[in-house]
Amino acid sequence: MELPRLVALAAAALLTPLAAPAQDKVTFATNWKAQAAHGGFYQAAVDGTYRKYGLDVRILQGGPQVNNAALLPAGRIDFLMTGNLLHSFDGVRNGLPTIAVAAMFQKDPQALIAHPGQGYEKFESLRSAPVALIAKDAQFSWWQWLKARHGFRDEALRPYNYNLGPFLANKRAIQQGYSVAEPIYVLNQGRFRPVVHLLADHGFSTYSTLIVTRTDTVQEHPDLVQRFVDASIIGWVSYLYGDRRAANARMIEDNPEMTVAEIEAAVELMKAQGIVDSGEALSAGIGAMNEARIRDFYDQMVGAGLYEAGDVDLARVATLRFVNRGVGIDLKARLLGR
Amino acid sequence: MSANRWLPLLTMVALLIGWEALVRLAEIPHYTLPAPSLVARTLWQNFPSLATSWWFTLKITFGGLALAAVGGVLIAAVFALSRRVEAALFPLAVVLQVTPIVAIAPLILIYVESTTAALLLCAWVVAFFPILSNTVLGLRAADPNLRDLFRLYGATPWQRLRLLLVPSALPYFIGGLKISGGLSLIGAVTAEMVAGVAGRETGLASRILEASFRSETPKMFAALALLMITGVLIFWAFNALSRALIGRWHASEIN
Amino acid sequence: MVPSSVGIALEHVEKRFPGGLVALQDLSFEVAPGEFVALVGPSGCGKSTVLRLVAGLDTPTHGRVHAPALRDGSRASTAFVFQEATLMPWASLFDNVWLPLRLAGVTRRQAAGQIRELLGGMGLGDFEHAYPAELSGGMRMRASIARALVTRPQMLLMDEPFAALDESTRGRLNADLLQWWAERSLAVMFVTHSVYEAVFLSQRVLVMSDRPGRVVAEVIIGQPYPRAAAFRASTAYHDACRKVSAALEAA
Repeated sequence: MELPRLVALAAAALLTPLAAPAQDKVTFATNWKAQAAHGGFYQAAVDGTYRKYGLDVRILQGGPQVNNAALLPAGRIDFLMTGNLLHSFDGVRNGLPTIAVAAMFQKDPQALIAHPGQGYEKFESLRSAPVALIAKDAQFSWWQWLKARHGFRDEALRPYNYNLGPFLANKRAIQQGYSVAEPIYVLNQGRFRPVVHLLADHGFSTYSTLIVTRTDTVQEHPDLVQRFVDASIIGWVSYLYGDRRAANARMIEDNPEMTVAEIEAAVELMKAQGIVDSGEALSAGIGAMNEARIRDFYDQMVGAGLYEAGDVDLARVATLRFVNRGVGIDLKARLLGR
Repeated sequence: MSANRWLPLLTMVALLIGWEALVRLAEIPHYTLPAPSLVARTLWQNFPSLATSWWFTLKITFGGLALAAVGGVLIAAVFALSRRVEAALFPLAVVLQVTPIVAIAPLILIYVESTTAALLLCAWVVAFFPILSNTVLGLRAADPNLRDLFRLYGATPWQRLRLLLVPSALPYFIGGLKISGGLSLIGAVTAEMVAGVAGRETGLASRILEASFRSETPKMFAALALLMITGVLIFWAFNALSRALIGRWHASEIN
Repeated sequence: MVPSSVGIALEHVEKRFPGGLVALQDLSFEVAPGEFVALVGPSGCGKSTVLRLVAGLDTPTHGRVHAPALRDGSRASTAFVFQEATLMPWASLFDNVWLPLRLAGVTRRQAAGQIRELLGGMGLGDFEHAYPAELSGGMRMRASIARALVTRPQMLLMDEPFAALDESTRGRLNADLLQWWAERSLAVMFVTHSVYEAVFLSQRVLVMSDRPGRVVAEVIIGQPYPRAAAFRASTAYHDACRKVSAALEAA
């Protein structure tokens, strides 16, 4: 299955100067069902940005029982969205031939939410909650960090199966969520605003919504990678600051449980919390990454006992050659009327 | 005749050799399909921690099975005594049989405090029905002529139960046990996949998930291998039990 | 017609089953203590039902049954041998023969001597630890009879016990049965399809009619015991067989 694609890409690369951009077919797998946190990618897909960059992108949704991550090293997809750097650390440690090429979120929206008026207004009080609803993949990653760094205990751990029921029913319970998603659902279903504690505010300094691809793709088709990254960045700028109605509609098509109101509320939160476009990204463009921050985050994880120092060759975690080029800055200025 | 005893082992060895050859010749990467040699090495290196999880899974499996055996036999006795009670409650038993554990395990966890208790309950749910169903059949399967004989000699109900009904039911009960042994393992593993929690009291299912999420494919296979070994051991153990208890006289074991 | 305390008598017995089937109608006969009586009749005429009534396993719809089994709950006074050996497959021969005594509260140790003696007398002495599945059909039937005799019953009811066995085993068991009967004082009611067997074994052959069954003929077999194989060649034997067959045909 790789060979035909290689031939097609090679042919496309050769033909590009001669004709209107031939379309490279790529598959991009997300890590959840379509939601506002995927908005930029859907934007690039529906408003012609990917097409303009010579890409025919198929977006493959993730979901609660779906594990798209295994598809990347197996060659079944071309690009993968991951939620934090831990996935990359594990990949490098286990010899997976994959590498991160962009970080669309400067802040991880991973958060813990709690009922108001239960004494959970301070982050420190969360560790004494009798019930913490945490999903399986998180149990094996950032929950371990919470235990080591912030004193959370396994006794409180309960499986979170992406059903708000147990949380809504138990005032003393806390659960995980995306700061830009779950609070909206809780408001809709439970009719109250939960207390939200962003892990990023307490030391979980990872990048999020990273674009990860195979190392051989980077080596053999860097141009393709660059185009995908650039187009995705443009997509995000257009989504946040431009007309995103078509993208929203497309996401609802993929995930009918979504509503426009929820998506819009999420976008506002993303902007307010500086999830996507903050810090470095303001000058270097969305998707920006720097080595120091990756190393710092790794050191913190080592300190929390998730890894041994030297377990992971940090040079192989990410490559910076495709980002930090100021892509999208002009477009943003134009869209904001400046 | 004794050649047959070696066949399963030889088949397994042949399969393993084939798998190893395939991985090496086709240069399949370890994160897609690890070679048996790598799996074995990983198993050996991680044995202490995997063994703890293995023990936990075994406890849940056999705990659930024991509860299912006790419950199944008791309720079967009630059903055998009263057709009316059986007619009334049998639909409940059938519902239990067809309920998917994947769906109800998280629900059970809402109501049951302890994860271990919830997992035991799930293993019990899947193991219960075959034992109940088979034992009811067995209790009714007593030879009618023997029944008449017992009546003729004035046997008390207790004597009839002990000397006629229980031995008559034994082969059927064991048949049910053989089925439920494997089911209990599946139930324990499935329940833990959806309702178990990392950290304390974890079995092999959690270790498989953990390895999967952390891209540690050889370790995932190592835990899977332990699961498969468990399944085979359960099958073998119950076959041995069956031979021991009824081997001398029941048609199913003779030849 | 009031029988002595250990005989049996059926007086105008009717047996109607729920659903309307009338198995027996106006059936009457007697068996004296220690007598060997054979019961023959066409298939479905109710022979087995008669035995069940005598054993107390069933009750008549009309009429009276006098039998040891029904007298003041003296259950062990009557023994039953079925067409299948009906041994408990999960128990050894010893335990199978012990069963009636065990149900009456006799311990294994107390019963051991009697059981062994019985098994020895029937040629099963070496097999007390064997399981029924390990024995031939003939040996299983002997064991079934041994079980029947272990309580020293006054009445032995046999429902086509040798029908499933081959010719030579059957012949051997016929001879053995007569010997065992001779060694004890007990009455025997022997149901069979075989006229030859009925005549060879019994003192009296009762012929039953088709359903609803009643006794329509009685043939006395005068030949004294012990009866050797030679009896089967004699004219008296053939005469009796003819008489019984004729009565059967007319029934």
